[in-house]
Amino acid sequence: MTQHRPHLTAQNTAIVLDSTADFPEAPERFPNWRVVPLYVLFGDESYRDYVELSPEAFYARLRTAEELPTTSQPTPGDFLATYQALSVYELIYSLHLSSALSGTYQSAHTAAAELGGQVRVVDSESASAAIAMLGFAIQRRLERGTTDEEIDTLIARFKENAGLIFTVDTLEFLRRGGRIGRASAWAGQLLHVKPILTIKREVIPIKRVRGNRKAVQEFVSAFTSTTEDASSLKVGIAHADAPERAEQLRKMVRAERPRAEIELVTTLGAVVGTHAGPGTVGFFWFDDRE
Amino acid sequence: MSDLARVQELARGALASLERNRQRIDDLNVYPVPDGDTGTNLTMTARAVVDELDKSSTEDRAGLVKEVTRAALMGARGNSGVILSQIIRGAAEVLGSEATIDEQVVARAFQAARDAAYRAVREPVEGTMLSVIREIAEESEQGASGIPALLQRLVRRGEEAVARTPEQLAVLREAGVVDAGGAGLLEIVRGLAATVAGEPLPEAPAEREQLSVAAIHQELSRFRYCTTFVIEGDGLDSDALEDEFLRLGDSLLVVGDPEALKVHVHTDHPGRALEVGTRVGVIDRVEIANMHEQTTQREERLLEAVPDAPAAASGAVAVVAGEGNRRLFQSLGATKIVEGGQTMNPSTADLVAAIEATDADEIVLLPNNSNVILSAEQAASLAAKRVEVIRTESIPAGLAAMVAFEPERPAEENAAEMHEVLEGVTTGEITIASRDVELNGLSVRKGDWLGLADGEALVRGTDFEEVAAAVADRLLAEPRGVLTLLTGAEEPTLDDLVKQIEARYPDVEVDVQAGGQPHYPLLLSAE
Repeated sequence: MTQHRPHLTAQNTAIVLDSTADFPEAPERFPNWRVVPLYVLFGDESYRDYVELSPEAFYARLRTAEELPTTSQPTPGDFLATYQALSVYELIYSLHLSSALSGTYQSAHTAAAELGGQVRVVDSESASAAIAMLGFAIQRRLERGTTDEEIDTLIARFKENAGLIFTVDTLEFLRRGGRIGRASAWAGQLLHVKPILTIKREVIPIKRVRGNRKAVQEFVSAFTSTTEDASSLKVGIAHADAPERAEQLRKMVRAERPRAEIELVTTLGAVVGTHAGPGTVGFFWFDDRE
Repeated sequence: MSDLARVQELARGALASLERNRQRIDDLNVYPVPDGDTGTNLTMTARAVVDELDKSSTEDRAGLVKEVTRAALMGARGNSGVILSQIIRGAAEVLGSEATIDEQVVARAFQAARDAAYRAVREPVEGTMLSVIREIAEESEQGASGIPALLQRLVRRGEEAVARTPEQLAVLREAGVVDAGGAGLLEIVRGLAATVAGEPLPEAPAEREQLSVAAIHQELSRFRYCTTFVIEGDGLDSDALEDEFLRLGDSLLVVGDPEALKVHVHTDHPGRALEVGTRVGVIDRVEIANMHEQTTQREERLLEAVPDAPAAASGAVAVVAGEGNRRLFQSLGATKIVEGGQTMNPSTADLVAAIEATDADEIVLLPNNSNVILSAEQAASLAAKRVEVIRTESIPAGLAAMVAFEPERPAEENAAEMHEVLEGVTTGEITIASRDVELNGLSVRKGDWLGLADGEALVRGTDFEEVAAAVADRLLAEPRGVLTLLTGAEEPTLDDLVKQIEARYPDVEVDVQAGGQPHYPLLLSAE
């Protein structure tokens, strides 16, 4: 017997992501989902992430660009327009990139304040596929009927337990964007050292290893030491212009945790790519047991 | 003047003031994320308001308030832009609700702006735009006779508030800058004050007053050398000299009197700038700095200013031969390098001295040669610091271990991690036999190439590539991820060798580095 009558459903509750969730097909997959794009700027030219600049076009341009791009959060107006277009929904969960990495959350928060209590703005304290996967977990509950208390508990558990590990080819992109502070302790670029990093609100270095083989070994040990094989185990993979590395990880999951569901394999979009750089691979997991 | 025209004029004044400071404010930006875009974000936000007003034909005040508020909100870029949009909203709502606008209404507008700004931020932080709007609002409570006088007063208080931000926020203090958002807000108020007073905007305001060379350096220059000197002479004509210096570069300051002038110019030709000085007088206190270097240093300073950078718990001392190898060890965080290797073993005293000279309480020591391990252990027992010896027998093994070194960790933890890495590393060496010798059943002739794997003679030959390929095959007999090749002072040609290895081991990443070590044309490691 549940204590609270379920009152949130996929028919009365919407989910808004920002484009750093790297899940551009959200509205096609779920009628109650929307994505608000951040902006990528090459000099004075501004593009809406995914909408006006695909990941493929972005990485191609990055290879030849003389000046590295910068990014900008959506305006509160961008969020407001999206929220207003969803006015038929009673409640909106607006899920965003860690507020320590971007002002996107602040922008959404400002827009939400215009609308009273209709929008719950959530700081995922994470990035990329993790945001989409939090959305999937919420959507699963909406589809069977849920309560806001249950969603709040889920969000807290996700922030606490969801796993994220990633590696970049060079720390230069994170450093340039000001997204990593301890770069001085993370030198070793001369020897092609791969940093292994995570995000807990901020980008946090875990260790550094040489070569992709060891990097993948680190992914495996981080993943297997904190999970058991179960159908409730959900996995996401995101890569920046490195599909072969994503494929390698997919095979690893099949071998190590055959019952797990790989719910998202995606390319890092232009905004996340601007700050992580080509060759980045991210691996995400969450055991969504009830 | 209509309300619309008046608002348009004010918004343009604020925007113009921001625009001329945009680059400077970008460069101040270290908080909350040091990505150097605060000036741009504030300018774009202000421009959104100006653009909207340019299109507007609204004449009623309530309608204008709505338009301005909405344009700021829709156009807000960055955290600073969002806060600005709330400041604009707070102020606009007060200004729109009164029939006549006098200094008291303007004062209340600033107070409402402050309240709106604080409401917008969940966890207000002092030393930011918020403290600046708070102080300006406080100052407005003091009153003044007439709006121009009030705004002038607010600009002065704003300047003080901006100057105080480094005292309030550690990250600014450490970076040696004032808050970018606060500085931007001040420029907006300055633009409004100038517009209301009907005066032109002051040229680059804060810097000129202090004539601070350091402040000018917050601006980026396309010229390489920052050149400063003093000219002493008789009847020096600063205007004429300014014209001459301007042809050489930018960021020019010529200040002083006809007997002594201080010159500051950014130029690619510091020599010519000095010649201008020697032609009209005697030059003194010449300083020429390479600004590209300064820019790099500033970047480093900004990075260091990011909070939570943990203090070093341990340092790494490594015994290294070869300039390239030295650079590799340093790039991995080695704090002290002792020159030495196969034929030049450092003494125990050299090692103790290096340990004591390292700025860390605990040390990991990498001998990087089997002949140095004993003296390293002796040095460890003699030194006053806690020292962990990592028993590395070769330079490539030492490099592999250094990858696991983290200064934030105590030496014991580093040693454990580094030894664990070493277990997965195998190393090789290629050298030239210095005499005839029997080794491991190999008859080696003087002048032969000799290949060793993990310290044991493995292969001899007269062809370098054959010997090297045989060693590489041995190192890659077990599955490995990376093969490192460190070329020696006598640099061998490796193109064919590398192609051959890559073809045979497609999963192995081959990393060739110029090590510069003597006696060993090639050192190898696989891990």
